[in-house]
Order: sequence, then structure tokens, then C-alpha cells
Amino acid sequence: MKTLLKKGFNQLDAVFSRVFTPAWNPMYQLGALGFFYFWIVAVTGVYLFIFFETSISGAYSSIEQITVGQWYLGGVMRSFHRYASAAMGVTVTLHLLREFAMDRYSGPRWFSWVSGVPLLWLLFASAIGGYWLVWDVQAQYIAVLTSEWFDWLPIMVDPMASNFLNEATLSDRFFSLLVFLHIGIPLALLLGMFIHIKRVTAARSNPAKGLAAGTLLAMLVVSLWRPALSQAPANLDMAVTEVGLDWIFLNPYPLINSWGPGQTWALLVGLSTALCLLPWLPSRRPKQSPVAVVYPPDCNGCGWCLADCPYEAISMKEHDYKPGHKQSVVDPDLCVSCGICAGACPSSSPFRHVDELTTGISIPGLHIKELLSLTETKLRELGTEAPRVLLYGCDHGSVVEGMASNTVATISMPCSALVPPAFVDYVLRQNLAEGVLISGCCEGDCYHRLGNTWMDQRFAMERMPVLRTRVPREQVRLRWLGAQGTSELGRELIAFQQELRENSAVVDPIRLQEASNG
Amino acid sequence: MADATRYLGQGLLYALFFLPIVYFTHEPQHRHLAEDMAELKIAVRHAGVTIGECTDVQAGAYTPLPGNKQRPQICPRERSPLELELLMDGKPLYRASVSPSGLHDDGVASIYRRFTVPAGRHNLELRMNDNVAVEGYPWVLEQEVDLQPAQVMVASFKDGFRLQ
Repeated sequence: MKTLLKKGFNQLDAVFSRVFTPAWNPMYQLGALGFFYFWIVAVTGVYLFIFFETSISGAYSSIEQITVGQWYLGGVMRSFHRYASAAMGVTVTLHLLREFAMDRYSGPRWFSWVSGVPLLWLLFASAIGGYWLVWDVQAQYIAVLTSEWFDWLPIMVDPMASNFLNEATLSDRFFSLLVFLHIGIPLALLLGMFIHIKRVTAARSNPAKGLAAGTLLAMLVVSLWRPALSQAPANLDMAVTEVGLDWIFLNPYPLINSWGPGQTWALLVGLSTALCLLPWLPSRRPKQSPVAVVYPPDCNGCGWCLADCPYEAISMKEHDYKPGHKQSVVDPDLCVSCGICAGACPSSSPFRHVDELTTGISIPGLHIKELLSLTETKLRELGTEAPRVLLYGCDHGSVVEGMASNTVATISMPCSALVPPAFVDYVLRQNLAEGVLISGCCEGDCYHRLGNTWMDQRFAMERMPVLRTRVPREQVRLRWLGAQGTSELGRELIAFQQELRENSAVVDPIRLQEASNG
Repeated sequence: MADATRYLGQGLLYALFFLPIVYFTHEPQHRHLAEDMAELKIAVRHAGVTIGECTDVQAGAYTPLPGNKQRPQICPRERSPLELELLMDGKPLYRASVSPSGLHDDGVASIYRRFTVPAGRHNLELRMNDNVAVEGYPWVLEQEVDLQPAQVMVASFKDGFRLQ
């Protein structure tokens, strides 16, 4: 099921990237869109609250007045309030499914996954509370079934449903309580959202401006075309026969009525528990590699690894034996062995005058010394025909293994950001290859969150360690196409070789000859 | 992709996202109650009779206490559970025994149930026993009712059953 979901999402990603560009691709910022919709709901909610009357007779009429009396503002606000909350429900569900499909819920990511489960309950409770306040037949339906659902719990002494027996038993005070809950629960949701992203470095809680603007425009069109309206007013002396339901948030309600409260509780609590346990259930995902190791003699305490770690697994402490210096420390509970820290370390340079390449921090699975050795070995095995290209890839992005040939050497690693920019400089200066192509996950959707972003910035000289200015940029390519872009990467590789061949001025034929001889 | 085509594509994808949202926020309609049905609710909140008798305190039992703090009797706190039966047209529809609330079973007992019943004329009979010392049902109400489709009829209890 996960594989199918992943394929589906990959195809959707490709379509959205083509239409929206990767920077605006909504599939890469579903969580950020969730935040965005929350703020729309919050702002419009404040406006609606100004005109809302918290009484049995006033609730329905005041909302009708907002909707009809000031359709141009209050009505639009109400529609934004409803459609943004529904859109939040949809994006949050997609966010959950996508993180599951992409295998981003286990290991150190368990905290964000598990902390997201109660947020679903709070989101549903917020939305249901909002529908209740309208006090139309849908609200009546919700009121009776919600109270019966909660009355099933042994903690309820007096049945809540007794408040909704008939018109005579309903009290204004209950509406005051509902308003309090409709403000309090979303505030708890916001706090939970903050906790949800607390352990995430550089968490994205705002979507791209263009995407936000497009979303607002689309919602405005929808709000004017199909404004949110109330149904007939509630009347507790008559049972609800047929009702228009919001199936996004109220889908458990028909179950409460047909299965009974106990079974519905069992289903929803069971599903939530299963979701919480998911990160620890056996799966076919590869076993966690040994975590990154710090080598104090080569760590100068620069903190670049600290700045680049997407999982906040690195902190700094006083150096073991260099007074006044700092030293990196790896938290094994948070490290996922992506190797981005090794790519960020200034000591990961093959140009250093040392007998054996060592570095300040590296992952035992692919030490920087081994990466260098592998790079040199694979490139020396290539034929003499130019242009020779070194293709670095990541284990979660485009599949590079099949692209190896007489002129192309391929190396795959946990994350492409493991490659220190100095390696590219080294390969070209040593004439080991005429071109270096680095590929990986889709732009904006790195499996290790920030790997391709950091690489773009390092190569654009915006982030340390930079790719030095002396490296001819026409001999270097960064292509973020993801697993679904493997074929496209193959075509890009051929085109890159063709460009190198045509632009042969960049390739010194004498040095090329020397390289082929030696 | 040209800008115009891209924006057109974006408009299409926004529409594909929001149209189902607009539809599913109020459609399809859900049939909660069949047209020829009505609802009957029982809502009883009543404290059962205390179990046992008060006993006189024997003289001298509270000797450490001053006279104004001495109680003449000790009364039990535990209350009887409520035994309730609802019959419709002579057939039992609901039967329950509900314990009093509270750690010492000294609070009120609450019953709430909602039934979906066919509309039309029915004979309803409600019986309740709130005293374990008494056999049978001290509280009984038998009444003919004519339920309209979708009507909500509530059976409550305050010094006797009432149908509203």
C-alpha cells in the first residue's frame, strides 16, 4: 500500500511541479498550507465573533444577518472561515498520507508523527464546534449525536444529551460554553502545532507567497460563487430527518448513529493508537545506519554542521582539549546518518596536506575518506573517451546506478549534501573528469528535508562551505528531479555530456591526454 | 511551460482542489430518520430511596463530643438503583437497572436513551422502581400517544412520569 501511495504522490508531485514550479508546488508544503489555512480561519473567526450572539434565538439570526445582510464582507468572511477549515482538513490528511508514503515518520521523526495525531482530534473538535454554533439542523444533528457519543464514556455522570431533549431544555448558557470551547480548542490546536514542529530545524510554516496568493484568490472566487449558508433553523421538538453534512469533518457521525457510540469510540481511538504506534511497527525500511561520529582533532568548532543538520542532532560543547574552542556533539537519538554534516565540515577537503583524509565529523557508513577513495577509483576505471562525467546521486532521489557507462561514474549516498563542494573542485582540478553532475530528491522535497537546498546555496556561494570561484560552473550541474525524474536525469546527463563536448574549450586537451595516460 | 499555460493549469488545479471541498461541505444529503419514523427519548434523573433505616444513637456513644455536636440518629447514605422498563404496544422496548452516582452510591441515578419508533398511535407504558425494599413498580404511566412523523416525544420524571 505504501509503495502504491508513494507512486501516486510521485506522479502528483511531477504534475504540480510542472504547473506550479517546484518552489510553489503545494505537495511539498502541505504542512505549511495547514498553518496558512489555520490563520485564515483565525482571522475570519475574530471578525465573525464580533457579530455573533451567544443565545438560542440570537445564534442563528445573527449568523444569517452576517451572511445575508453583509454578504460582501461578512458573508465572504464566513465562506472563507468554512472553506479554509475544510481545506485545512484536506491538506492535513494529505500531509499525513504523504509523510507515511515517503517513509518520513520513524526514527527521530517519531516525535512529529506522534504529536500530529492529537492535532487531528483537535482539528476535528474545532471544526465540529464551529458547525454547532450556527444552530441550524446540522448543528442539532451534531448536538444530539455528540452528546450521546460522550455520554457513553463512564466519566459522564449527568447525560449531556439531557440538554438537547427538546426546546424547553436548551439554555443560553450552553452557547456561552460552546463559544468558549470554539476559542479554546483552536488555541490548543495552535499550541499543538507549535509543539509538532518544535524539533524540526527551519520548519516551514508559511507557504510560498505565490501559492498563498493563488489560494486566497481561489477561495475568494469560490466564496462568491458558492457562499457558505446555514440550513433550516434547529428545532429540538422535531427530529432531524434529512441533513446536509460536511463529510470532511462530520464523517464519523452516521457511524455513531448506526454502530453506536462504543464501537465508534473503539474505531477512532483504535485508529489513533495504531497511528501513534506506526513508527515502531516492523517494516521493510532499511536498518538505521550508525550515527555520525565527531573526530575532535579535526573539529575546529566552526558550527557549520550545527547550522546544516536538518534534525537538530548536533550541538556544541567545550572542546575536549583545545581551550577556548568549541566541538560538535551528536545526539544519537536524533541523528539519521544522512551525512549532511560531513558535507558541511570544512575539514572534508581533499586538498588538505595530510597523509590520510580525515574530517571533523562523518558517518561511519560512508566516511569522507571512503567517499574520496570511491570517487577516485570509479573515475580511474572510466575509459579515455571524453567527456567523462562523475554522477553523484542520493538513495532517495533519481536512481543513478543504471546510468554508469564507459564515460560516466556513478556514486549513490544517503544524501547528496554529503558531497563537500571541495570534492567537485578536486575532481575537476585533478582531471579525473570533465564534468560533475549532482542529483537527488525533487527540489523543495528533499528526503532529508534540506539537503538539496543547502547544496544549491553552497554552490551559489551563499552558504559555507562554498564551491570556490575557480571551479568552472559550466562543468558542474545540480539537478533535483527525484525518483520520478530518473529518466529525465538520464536525458539531462546525455545533454550535459553533449554540452561538455561542444564546449570543449573548457576541457584542456593536453590535460585530458595526460589523464588518460596516467 | 509558457506563463499563460502555467496560470491556466494552476487555475484548473485550484478548481480541482476546491470543487470537491465546496461539494462535500454540504452534499450529499444524509438521511438520518426515515420519513415515517418518530423519536422517543427517556430522560430520567432521580435519586432512589435510601437503603436501610436510620438507627438511634445509644446514649454515651458520642461522649468525647459536646452535646450540640452529637447526632441522635445514624442514617445510611446508599440509595436504591433505578429499575426502569419501557413497553410499547405491550412489547418491552427497554429495560435497565441504573446505579446511583457517587463513591458511596448516594447520588442521583441518570438514564437517557433515544429510540427511533414508527409514527402513529401507540400504547406506551413506563414503569420504575426506586426502592429495593419494595416489590414491583411503584411508579407507572400508561398512555396512548399519537406520534407524528419526525416528532420528538420526551418521557421525563419528576414526582411521576410525564410525556412531553
